Amino acid sequence: MTDAALISATDLHRRYGEGEAAVKALDGVSIDFPSGRYTAIMGPSGSGKSTLMHILAGLDRPTEGTVVIDGQDITTLDDKHLTELRRETFGFIFQFFNLLPVLDARENIVLPLSIAGEKPDAAWLDQLVETVGLSDRLTHRPSELSGGQQQRVAVARALVSRPAVVFADEPTGNLDSKSSEEVLTLLRRSVDDLGQTVVMVTHDAHAASFADRVVVLADGKVVHDGECADEDAVHELMKAAG
Amino acid sequence: MLKVTFAGLAARKLRTALTATAVVLGVALISGTFILTDAINKNFDSIFSTATSGFDVAITPKVAVESDFEEQEVPPISDGYIARAEGVDGVDRAVGEIFSQGVIYKKNGDRITKSAPNFIASVQPEPFDPFDYVEGRAPEKPGEVAIDRFTANKQGFDLGDTISVSGDGPRAKLELVGIAKYGEVDSIGGASIAIVPLAEAQRLSGKPGGVDQIDVTADRGVAPAALVKRLRRELPGAITIRTAKAEADKQARDIKDGFAFLTTALLVFAGIALFVGGFMIFNTFTITIAQRMREFALLRTLGASRAQVLRSVLLEAFLIGLGASVLGLFAGTALAPALNGLFSTFGLDLPGEGTIVATRTIVVSLVVGTLVTVVSSLAPALRSTRVPPIAALREGAVLPPGRGRRWRAPIAAGLCGIGIAILVAGLVGGGSGNAVASLLGLGAVIVFLGVGLLSSKLVAPLASVVGRPLERLRGMTGRLARENTVRNPGRTAGTAAALMIGLALVNFVAIFAAGATGSVAKTIDDRFRSDLVLQGTDGFSPFGAQAGEAIARDPGVARATPLRFGLSKVTGVKGTQSVTAVDPKNSIGVFEFVWKQGSDRTLENLGPRDVVADEKWAKEQKFNVGETIAVLTPTNARLKLNIRGTYKDQLDFGGDFVVALDVATRDFNMKKDAMLLVKLAPDANRDAVQKRIELQLGAQFPDVEALTNEEFKDDQAKQLNQVLGLIYVLLGLSVLVSLFGIVNTLALSIHERTRELGMLRAIGTSRAQVRQMVRYESVITALIGAVLGTVLGVAFALIISRPLESDGFTLSFPVVTLLILIVLAAVAGVLAAIGPARRASRLDVLEALAYE
Repeated sequence: MTDAALISATDLHRRYGEGEAAVKALDGVSIDFPSGRYTAIMGPSGSGKSTLMHILAGLDRPTEGTVVIDGQDITTLDDKHLTELRRETFGFIFQFFNLLPVLDARENIVLPLSIAGEKPDAAWLDQLVETVGLSDRLTHRPSELSGGQQQRVAVARALVSRPAVVFADEPTGNLDSKSSEEVLTLLRRSVDDLGQTVVMVTHDAHAASFADRVVVLADGKVVHDGECADEDAVHELMKAAG
Repeated sequence: MLKVTFAGLAARKLRTALTATAVVLGVALISGTFILTDAINKNFDSIFSTATSGFDVAITPKVAVESDFEEQEVPPISDGYIARAEGVDGVDRAVGEIFSQGVIYKKNGDRITKSAPNFIASVQPEPFDPFDYVEGRAPEKPGEVAIDRFTANKQGFDLGDTISVSGDGPRAKLELVGIAKYGEVDSIGGASIAIVPLAEAQRLSGKPGGVDQIDVTADRGVAPAALVKRLRRELPGAITIRTAKAEADKQARDIKDGFAFLTTALLVFAGIALFVGGFMIFNTFTITIAQRMREFALLRTLGASRAQVLRSVLLEAFLIGLGASVLGLFAGTALAPALNGLFSTFGLDLPGEGTIVATRTIVVSLVVGTLVTVVSSLAPALRSTRVPPIAALREGAVLPPGRGRRWRAPIAAGLCGIGIAILVAGLVGGGSGNAVASLLGLGAVIVFLGVGLLSSKLVAPLASVVGRPLERLRGMTGRLARENTVRNPGRTAGTAAALMIGLALVNFVAIFAAGATGSVAKTIDDRFRSDLVLQGTDGFSPFGAQAGEAIARDPGVARATPLRFGLSKVTGVKGTQSVTAVDPKNSIGVFEFVWKQGSDRTLENLGPRDVVADEKWAKEQKFNVGETIAVLTPTNARLKLNIRGTYKDQLDFGGDFVVALDVATRDFNMKKDAMLLVKLAPDANRDAVQKRIELQLGAQFPDVEALTNEEFKDDQAKQLNQVLGLIYVLLGLSVLVSLFGIVNTLALSIHERTRELGMLRAIGTSRAQVRQMVRYESVITALIGAVLGTVLGVAFALIISRPLESDGFTLSFPVVTLLILIVLAAVAGVLAAIGPARRASRLDVLEALAYE
């Protein structure tokens, strides 16, 4: 890739606790994310993959190191600016969908815009709804949707504000294999068709096989960073990482 | 299981504390009331035992017409009895005593106080004298006065100062020659006393040749009780003879009975606060039990029986209730002096010093507080037992709906109906004042329960009404706030219902007060044809007739005619009857009667054995015009009076019947004017005359003021507003409890929605927006309570004012006040949300997202 990095993380350290009992979640991670690419961050439990994503997304702060987005180091921003950054630059997809039960599907999708006090672009919204295949479900509340449908609402919500990056945290962790397939395909298409940048944390080799690039963490360090081959290759990588 | 309960309480400190607060406040009011009134009673006991400590037997006027509520001036006994008593065998000495209401003035001419009584007392020789002179000496001749140390200190009076005192006549300027303690204390329960020689006291109080009491000492070896018997035999007449101790007990009892309403009233407010607290406790337990479902299911899975689960929840309630009651009991000791200060602020000075915690106070406080908590938690506790063990294993299981849900609406409607029926029964059924009040209270409680039960159905539409504008204004945060209030309608309903109770009562009182103020104004407009009205400067004390005689001489005054109010008993009629006295000829055209039978001519010709009667009273008692009623008067006279006509009364200005002024003065002991209506000469300038009269009054009768009709109306309204203020403060406590309820519900709901809040923050909701969302949810809840409260308050006022309409009470709705109350409720919602909103906005996003 010749693109300049969209996100550039340098020498990230994250320690929890003090002294003897301190746990090193990240131990010197430097990594760039170019625009328009689909990256899967993998690793066993405790490898630091979630911590890395949280720090990249401005939800957590590193003990040391910098995260630069658009030439700005976000690790020094205060809560107000971080909130703005998340609202305008990032989209989020969570393992537990995290839809608001009191809003219907359409309202959940446009929630980030509503919070910002903006109106959705009607054409873009139509296209998005079409893409995620929810045209006939827009007035349903989350309790009336299946898990897969709920996660597709969440994907649409993450994309609606045309964020620079979509962070997906175990997006298929709570889905059956058919729904997982749908969601992963959606994310793939968002990269291919819309040029979206996606960073996905997962421990599922099949999910990771949809990505362009696989980064594997172990004990807070990057142990592999390369083009994604196929599912079996990813399995091998994971085994190697322990 | 015990361990689980304790661990649970400790783990939920905030909720436990908030729940307990509701009980603490209610119980504090109970214990504070008891502590204060016990202190007041004890102080009165000691005051009267000091008063009678120097002698053995007291001779007092016979009170012919006894009344608990109305203050009356009892006619004095002739001082001829003093010598006759001394002539009785076994009597060592007898001295006459004056102890009459009077007015003592500040250096600037104002009354020294409007909230505590002033007395004129006569100097008594040793050993009768209850006073100890700490400075100077007892007054010895006319023109000298001594004063209690409390008043001297408060007003900065020094020996040699000139002090003005008035009783029945113009004010006297007296030289201060002594400052006295009363027994061991500085004051008689906050009252001020001017001590003057007996003859001066008789003159000042308008009782020449009379005394209020004769104090008798017995010869050595003569028992007081035996002496009482002998005196009773030897001294016939309209007098009462008791041992000094019995007299002290009687006087203390009378005054305590007079203040008993205060205890009742305060306990009613405590009851209201606890009732509101009950709603809050019910609500809190319902929420937490829903949240702890998996815990209960786990306990069941591990083999706990339903009874054990029930016991553990009830034990938790018991512990909270008991702990809160203990705290409330202690808080009561601090609240008692605060209540006393509150009364003092609102014009009622009582001797409430000292803290007495009687066993009764402890028992009642602990039992009531604990019981309220346990009973309120009973329904949620029963629900907890229905959690199936399997719920422990299922994600997102919900409590099985209550079996009674289907019956909820009909039961609620039934309760409202029964409550209203009881209210109406209380109103039309007659019966004693207490019975009526109890029925009204019971009816209101049942209506509140009914509406509370029904309100979960009302939450969605009400939230729509009050929430839409917010949504329009604030977009998504407003929208989410509204959705959150209807997410769990029962919860919002319970929270709002608690606020509803306090606000319904505040609204009711506000509407009633507006009606009363309007009715007084209307009565004055309808009946007073006067240009000026004279009244006591404290707004209620009657004043000596000489003031009226003096200002009648002003060239600008065409006529001055008094209204006097008194009491009597009529044979065949229960209780005491109110009597109004007017000057028949002079009052025509100044004080207007609306005649049913008869005319102004009837009044003009009203003879000494004639009355005109309130038409409604006469009809109730089945008295007809032309018939005779047998009347017992305060001077112990039994009169046969002819009913000459009937009139339509308005706000009891006409009493039950009206007698002519001279008869009232002579036979009813109605010597003082309650108000004096002044009609000016046709060419007189009202402002100029008023100024002149004010000057004259200031110089001679500073206890009287001259007001225009408008000023008089305003003054009446002002007095009412003072009482109103006191009621608002006490109801405020209940509102406060319900606000804690809002805080609690919000805190618990936010806790439930932790992950949602985490998501909202993650996708870019600012902290300010989160705070806003919680705040609006609180405001919407408060507004739902306010709307329900307003509707109920209006409904209560409509129902309860109906029977009063025939007495001249006209209902009016203080729309502005009611709107202000709604706005205040919204503001209260904002305040209640401060804590929970801050908590919600400070949630750590990552922790919240990981929260299960």
